[in-house]
Amino acid sequence: MDTRIAGPLLELNKAVPSFEESGLPPVPFSMKLMPGDCMVVEARSTSRATMFADLCCGLVPLDDGAVRFMGLDWADLHDRELNALRGRIGRMTRRASWPEFLNTHLAITLQQLHHTSRPLDDIVAEAARLGELFGLPGLPVLRPSMLSDVDLLRAGCVRAFLGRPRLLLLEDPLEGSPVDLQNPFLSAITDARDRGAGVIWLVRNNAIWQGYRQGITSIWRLADDGLVEIRTA
Amino acid sequence: MSSDEIVDPTVQNDASIKRVLLHLVLPFGVLVLVVGAIAAIGLHSYRSTRAGVVALTHELLGAVQQNISQEVSDYIMPAMAGNIIASGMITHAPPQVADRVFNSYGAAMLQSVPQLQSFYLGDEDGHFRLITRGPDGKNQERTTFELHDGKQVYHREFYTDDGVKTGEEYTDATGYDPRKRPWYANTEGKTDTQWTQPYLFATARQFVMTSSLRFKGANGHTYVFATNISLNELSTFLDHLKVGKTGNAIILDSKGRVIAGRNIMQQAEAAGWDPNKMVLDPKTHPVFARGYDHYRVRGFGPRSFELNGKRYVTIASPLKNSAEGWILLLSAPESDFANFARQSSQQSLQFAGIIIVFSLVLAGFLVRQVRRSERVARKLGQQGAQIAHETAAVQQVAATPRLFDPTAEPLVLTEQLVHITDARRASIWRLLHDGAAMICEDSYDQKQDAHSGGFEMSRADLGELFETIEAGDVLTVENAATDERTRQFERLVMRELGTRMLAIYPIHGPKGIMGGLVLEDAHMAPHLLYFVDLMASIAGIRLAETADDAGTHALAAEDIPGTATSATPLPAPRYDNMLMQAPQVAGVSTSGIYPSVAVLVITFSDPVVDGEAETKSLLQLINALATDVQRISRERGLFAVEVAGHRMICMAGCTVEEDPTAIIRIADAALTMRETFMATLAAANLEPVFAMGLDYGAAFGGAVGEDPKVFNLWGQTVSLAELMAQGASDGGTIQVTDRVYQALRDRYLFRSRGSFFAPHLGLGRAYILAARR
Repeated sequence: MDTRIAGPLLELNKAVPSFEESGLPPVPFSMKLMPGDCMVVEARSTSRATMFADLCCGLVPLDDGAVRFMGLDWADLHDRELNALRGRIGRMTRRASWPEFLNTHLAITLQQLHHTSRPLDDIVAEAARLGELFGLPGLPVLRPSMLSDVDLLRAGCVRAFLGRPRLLLLEDPLEGSPVDLQNPFLSAITDARDRGAGVIWLVRNNAIWQGYRQGITSIWRLADDGLVEIRTA
Repeated sequence: MSSDEIVDPTVQNDASIKRVLLHLVLPFGVLVLVVGAIAAIGLHSYRSTRAGVVALTHELLGAVQQNISQEVSDYIMPAMAGNIIASGMITHAPPQVADRVFNSYGAAMLQSVPQLQSFYLGDEDGHFRLITRGPDGKNQERTTFELHDGKQVYHREFYTDDGVKTGEEYTDATGYDPRKRPWYANTEGKTDTQWTQPYLFATARQFVMTSSLRFKGANGHTYVFATNISLNELSTFLDHLKVGKTGNAIILDSKGRVIAGRNIMQQAEAAGWDPNKMVLDPKTHPVFARGYDHYRVRGFGPRSFELNGKRYVTIASPLKNSAEGWILLLSAPESDFANFARQSSQQSLQFAGIIIVFSLVLAGFLVRQVRRSERVARKLGQQGAQIAHETAAVQQVAATPRLFDPTAEPLVLTEQLVHITDARRASIWRLLHDGAAMICEDSYDQKQDAHSGGFEMSRADLGELFETIEAGDVLTVENAATDERTRQFERLVMRELGTRMLAIYPIHGPKGIMGGLVLEDAHMAPHLLYFVDLMASIAGIRLAETADDAGTHALAAEDIPGTATSATPLPAPRYDNMLMQAPQVAGVSTSGIYPSVAVLVITFSDPVVDGEAETKSLLQLINALATDVQRISRERGLFAVEVAGHRMICMAGCTVEEDPTAIIRIADAALTMRETFMATLAAANLEPVFAMGLDYGAAFGGAVGEDPKVFNLWGQTVSLAELMAQGASDGGTIQVTDRVYQALRDRYLFRSRGSFFAPHLGLGRAYILAARR
């Protein structure tokens, strides 16, 4: 069992991202994501959404303020701890993120193999189970470039949810995806939240998350004036 | 940190470099500085001492040189001064007594001045007189140059030191002319004292030189008075002179010929008794040769140089009151003077070495102490973290609503126990029926992150374990499979997870032992006992409440029709596809929608068989299970049991009117089946390879087909029951839907499994049916 942390899982405390490095508006970003929360962030620009996810991962230098994940300030950590902490994040991104030198099953399990001492069989079993959940007949073993877009999206889902991540940064996996991915995706989100994970779901339009309306904790918009809360469920 | 994570990001190692700097580099850096400072001071001290020693050496040598100059001057002075005195005496004496004056003066001087060898007196007319020592150095010999019978002869008269004539002789002196002798000739035209070149008397082994002075007598004659002075005495003096410890001195003339010095006779012999060849040989006198070279290049003064790896000091100075151009050369090894400085440096070095060794030892102690204190601080930090950890866990337990309410689930207890003790699984077992059986109230599996429970074990199976728990002792077994007391428990419960270590802590209640806390593969530290005891106490209070409640509910359970204890049993199952009782199927009266059907789906894992014997035994086992299901279904008055492949679907309440007892009967049946299955499978040494799903709600069905008619049921209730069975977290668990939970929450114990998003159904919660209350 993982310890549920008492405070916020992710906290942006007046974090001003460096405009030069990220292209995000250099205004203070403030929000708190508690364990089990699911937060929808509407961002029209996919690149901005990616940068916001980077900001949450501590990949964007800050001009001011702090970003804390599980109570740890990204800025205070050293590389070793930074990497280990990022190992607790499951992420789906629009940015090209599949290595061509690895087959998909390795690319999926690489994170767990790198960060944990779990037996390979465990990881593969979990990945296969997730693969089946997301509509794959098993773990894909071809190179990522040889998979169809939809299957790659499914594989991306498997990669993001593998290893019980504490934070899920999901850049709109449902947009343009087949309908049958929606249920497993929402099921996986619910499952992860039940375990205490926090979810940041970055979407381009409102239609996507309507089916999960009852499960959304809060809705925010990422605009030129920063992060604005629209409604709290 | 999750136990699988390799790096714990919450533990910062940034202090390591700083720590190394502070704990190792700093002390050793300071030590090196100290050592360097000591070495620098030592070097400086050595250098300044050496410079002082060199200055002192030069001063000492200067003093020695002055002393020698004085000595040489004193040595030669009688010859020089004697010439003047004698010439004055002879000049002023009447001519008749001039010979006597000469003899008297010569005799007196020879008696009192040992280095004087003889005196000559010659004049322009070729007269010559000589007074000299005897061959043995005693007595005197007076010689005059005379003409006897037209022959030139020496008239020698021998006298004692007291002036008594002891004999005389005449020897031939043909061709001798004193005016041609060097001592006479070199005074030509000069009025001051002149020195001849040294010359050697090989027979007498004397090294002699002559000083001569030309003067005019009262009678107008020109006289030359000469004094032979032996340089042997000077050499002996220099021989005995000590310059430092091993140094010595030498006197050279302006052409580098040796005048006096150590072993002068050997040198003379080596030179073939030729004074001109007595020059400094670098082979025999390397130091003096080098010193003389320095003098020739750089002039008078002290010089230092290194020769054959040894440092020497030489000093060259002119000798005043001596023959013209004489040089005194002193040499000594620098070590003679600097030895004490070296010894002092060595002592300083030894002291420095001792200080360095002490410093090293102290630095080592310091580092050791710092590391030790750091280790202790780290341990304290870890203990602090552990305390904070436990406090947080206790707070989490304390913050759990309805902690002591037996109707609420005690999930937090097992979760926190696992969390704190890092056990694979923690479970709370309650003793039932006055200790005849034990039921698992809740079991939490860390790896699966799942709760389960409801397993029941009887004393008949686990007698020794029961006794151990009832004894109230803590039981810790490293390998549960090898211990008599826990072997059966390991087979029944632990083998499923593959755990080895077992720790059982008794749960004390107001009426004695209520049950036990079971930890599998726990990393127990002594300080964790407090926490486990606390959890056991809380569990004890809960179990006591549960026991009280069970008493009040017992009667209600008995009132349920169709239960095992009911007096009026329901009709036998009407449709039983497994039993294939066609006549009963034919008796179905209604078909359509049933408002409150309870559906239990049991799924078995596909068996793996290898060989006929195994297949046979498996079929027997399946038959036994089927027989049990038949029996239990009849006992509980179920409506039908369908069997299809590795699934069984049991149903109750297929009536048009709502049947509130259907769900209770089927839940009872499910629990009984589970216990029976578990026992049967454990007896066959098999894992619990089945899962059960239960739902309750509306469904529609009816008899289908002809001869025989088969009853079948459809609807969401059936689907959900199947989903529950398929999605059961663990083998041997009964997973139920929210509706079942709502219907049975007052009668049975449930554990929440969490929220699930089911396709077409949306978010819903699933529960594990654990046990009867």
